[in-house]
Amino acid sequence: MPIEIPDVRESFSQAIYTVTLGATRDGGGTRTKVVTVGGEKALPFHHFEGEIPHPPVVAMEVWDVPPEDWPDPVRMPFADVMGSLGEWARKCVEEHGADLICLRLVGCDPNGEDRSPEEAAAAVKEVLTSVGVPLIVWGCGNPEKDNEVFPVVGEAAAGENCLLGTITQDNYKTLVAVATAYKHKLIAESPVDINIAKQVNILAMDAGYPLEDLVIYPSTGALGYGIEYVYSIMERARLAGLGGDKLMAQPILCDIGREVWGVKEARAPREEQPEWGDAELRGPLWEATTAYMYLLAGADILVMRHPEAVRAAKRAIRMLMGEEQ
Amino acid sequence: MRVLYRVTFHPQGRGVEVPNGTTLLEAAAAAGVELASVCGGEGICGRCRLIIRRGRVETGPTLLLSPEEVKEGYVLACQSRVRGDVVVEVPPESRVERAVRVDLDAQVFLAREAEARAPFELVPLARKLFLRIPRPTLEDNVGDQERVFREVRRRIEAPILQAGLKVLRALPRVLRENDWKVTVTVARRGGTVELLQVEPGDRSGEAYGVVLDVGTSTVVAHLVDLVTGRTLDAEAKYNSQRTLGEEVTRRIIASERQGVERLQALVAEDINDLISLMVERQRIRLSDVVAVLCAGNTAMTHFLLGLPPKALRRHPYVAAALAPPPVRAAEVGIKINPRGLLYVMPGIGGWVGGDITAGILASGIHRVEEPVLFVDIGTNGEIVLGCRDWLVACSASAGPAFEGAGVTCGMRASRGAIMRVAFTSEGVRYEVVGDGPPQGLCGSGLIDAIAGMFQAGYIDRSGRLQPDRPRVVERRGELAFVLVPGEEGGREIMITQRDIENVLRAKAAIYAGISILLREMGLAVEDVARIYIAGAFGSHLDPRNAVMLGLVPDVPPGRIRFLGNTSLAGAKLALLSGDALDEAQGIAERVTYYDLISCPYYYDEFVAAKFLPHTDLSRFPTMTKALGLGEPV
Repeated sequence: MPIEIPDVRESFSQAIYTVTLGATRDGGGTRTKVVTVGGEKALPFHHFEGEIPHPPVVAMEVWDVPPEDWPDPVRMPFADVMGSLGEWARKCVEEHGADLICLRLVGCDPNGEDRSPEEAAAAVKEVLTSVGVPLIVWGCGNPEKDNEVFPVVGEAAAGENCLLGTITQDNYKTLVAVATAYKHKLIAESPVDINIAKQVNILAMDAGYPLEDLVIYPSTGALGYGIEYVYSIMERARLAGLGGDKLMAQPILCDIGREVWGVKEARAPREEQPEWGDAELRGPLWEATTAYMYLLAGADILVMRHPEAVRAAKRAIRMLMGEEQ
Repeated sequence: MRVLYRVTFHPQGRGVEVPNGTTLLEAAAAAGVELASVCGGEGICGRCRLIIRRGRVETGPTLLLSPEEVKEGYVLACQSRVRGDVVVEVPPESRVERAVRVDLDAQVFLAREAEARAPFELVPLARKLFLRIPRPTLEDNVGDQERVFREVRRRIEAPILQAGLKVLRALPRVLRENDWKVTVTVARRGGTVELLQVEPGDRSGEAYGVVLDVGTSTVVAHLVDLVTGRTLDAEAKYNSQRTLGEEVTRRIIASERQGVERLQALVAEDINDLISLMVERQRIRLSDVVAVLCAGNTAMTHFLLGLPPKALRRHPYVAAALAPPPVRAAEVGIKINPRGLLYVMPGIGGWVGGDITAGILASGIHRVEEPVLFVDIGTNGEIVLGCRDWLVACSASAGPAFEGAGVTCGMRASRGAIMRVAFTSEGVRYEVVGDGPPQGLCGSGLIDAIAGMFQAGYIDRSGRLQPDRPRVVERRGELAFVLVPGEEGGREIMITQRDIENVLRAKAAIYAGISILLREMGLAVEDVARIYIAGAFGSHLDPRNAVMLGLVPDVPPGRIRFLGNTSLAGAKLALLSGDALDEAQGIAERVTYYDLISCPYYYDEFVAAKFLPHTDLSRFPTMTKALGLGEPV
């Protein structure tokens, strides 16, 4: 007698919110391309359980000031363009296929160059005029300074439907107001804690911001540096979102490049760690592997640095989406 | 250089000579001047503020005083060393108010006392019996002791009776000098009855006992008439061990360094102060106080008995004894009748003590059919869930915020404490314990204030103050809500951002404990018939605000009952009835202790509960509706 195999496929009651970034001329912006993420009705790449309408995307990172702490393997590919923000962004898009540009306003940090909000706005403009892809604008991380910078930046990019970040439990009001006024999307940051992730979303919602315009950033850990904690937090958030919890039904962003290029496994030159092999290969591999893990955990937007890692991640996405063998 | 210097404290007018280099905090203790100190002299809490009026001290830099204050002569007592004769002023905020509102505490329970006492017959643990003893004859020539025992056994059940050698030596003379009419004091000692003393004539009406709630922060005593069972007087003071640290763990460490004898002496002295005050006021003889029953957390009981508490704070948290036997009160330095006994309420475990056994006994949750949740809010929030068939308890480390410590303008529920706050259309209204200007906020006032601030939109759901609102000001680099402006004839009373965070942490710890106990027992909030809240909140605790804050689950306010100090109420039941003490022993043995710290999802529950009222609004449907927060998602 043939054995009856039970159908163990799961179906979920709610889809992840669909978030579109960027706006073309018709939409009031100047982008030549928009990016849509989210909309999943199943766990990552479980195509047999539900529709996954939008593949994850890769944003490449550019800085308003040439980074000093990027180790050679990740600095060299951009060494020729790091002096010009526009060229740097263009290289990412045209040569390396970035779906979005993530502009980090490191230069605004009061402990660094302490650049003015106007200078930040000029940087944003420069990227916007240089590339046609949508833009993520990431603040310097100093709450007071970010609150000065974002009103100016948000206005300068009005209509472009950027993704601004980040709002946290301690600092969300200004950014929520800016994003509401100039119609941008927001990154909600939390420290590897599902409750706090939820709380930040609630605070934004209570301040009048729509839950469907948020992207969750649950913090990211590099491979070997707590990746499993983040993984399980993302998994829980996604299960809750698919299960009907509107507060957890947002697409998820992972900040891969920044984390990976801060750990010694990616940074150490070969002379320091001869047994670890070629640093030119090791760093990008570390970034690509980390990115792969987060794709499986449910990432919708990966923010990355190294062109080879980006290439690998994009290929993995195509394969996981069944577009390439 | 002189070795001793004189330190004088005003307005108390007390002086003391101390060695060069003594801190002002130590000097104050030596002079019998109580100063507010939360951290135990580590320079962290900034409570022990003094103003130097004359003389010289050596003091280190501190961020806890503003430059203006330093200019005015303010110092922290614990950080200032005596380098010459000094005269200091103790500003009002550093004084420790002696009178805690015990009478209010008592009243809260009074209404229920008859109900709680109903199951027990009035058979006090110690009592006096007037005996008319038949004279010996040739036919009946048993010994004096046996003759007295025989009479005692006619009156009470006492299969095993014992008398001390001291009593026996005096017995023949007292019997014969008083025409064989004497009063004996008998007391229960486990399964034995001890003949404590023999007095001439009929003194059976003069028997008194004292019940004690020895808390980490406060020591409360009630004087009880053992003949009628009536409460005659109440008195309270702050536990003097506080100078060695506000929290239990700190005190255990202090006992490890300085010897448990020091902590024992401090609390015994507190108890003696309270007893002598009440005895003088009631004009009774100290020797007629024949029994003391003490309920307290396990660590406090260890200190009182001088038991080494070392193992209590180390895994697996073992007590020297959970149910110590009755001992001679004099043995631990308590001054009552020299042969009088000290009883200790049996405890449940290392972190759930006799105060909770007493709370269960007094609230009667061990007799009810439907599960009841009992929450005793102190420095630790102890939570008991159960009914007549089962009882589970846990201890959530809430911190002392609800007792007024660790909060800028916090104080205990004593005179001058704002105990009730209401946000109305005409502004913020408050009620103060006793007359006079407000001095600070007690736990119930804090609960009202923060719940009100939340509803009125002064804080968001994470408790963050909204800088653009009136009454929200900046003080010492952080936002604060001004509850009482300084110009209204007194101190400015405010609630700072950090205070709110302390309260939210405290409430989250307690709510997490509640929700874990419920989940572990497979119960939903709806399955809980009642929620009883106990604690030193004075006479008032607004159930609605307790729910609004997310301190307790969202149940109709009618199902929440505030019981006041149940530790003391249970202790009284046990002192007045041996059956009640037996029942307490049974309760202590029946309660299952649940260790919250080893619960794998404790932290998750804790973080989720730090929001107002909770991250998961579906758990607070009534509040969600009341606040208009929209449909729970």
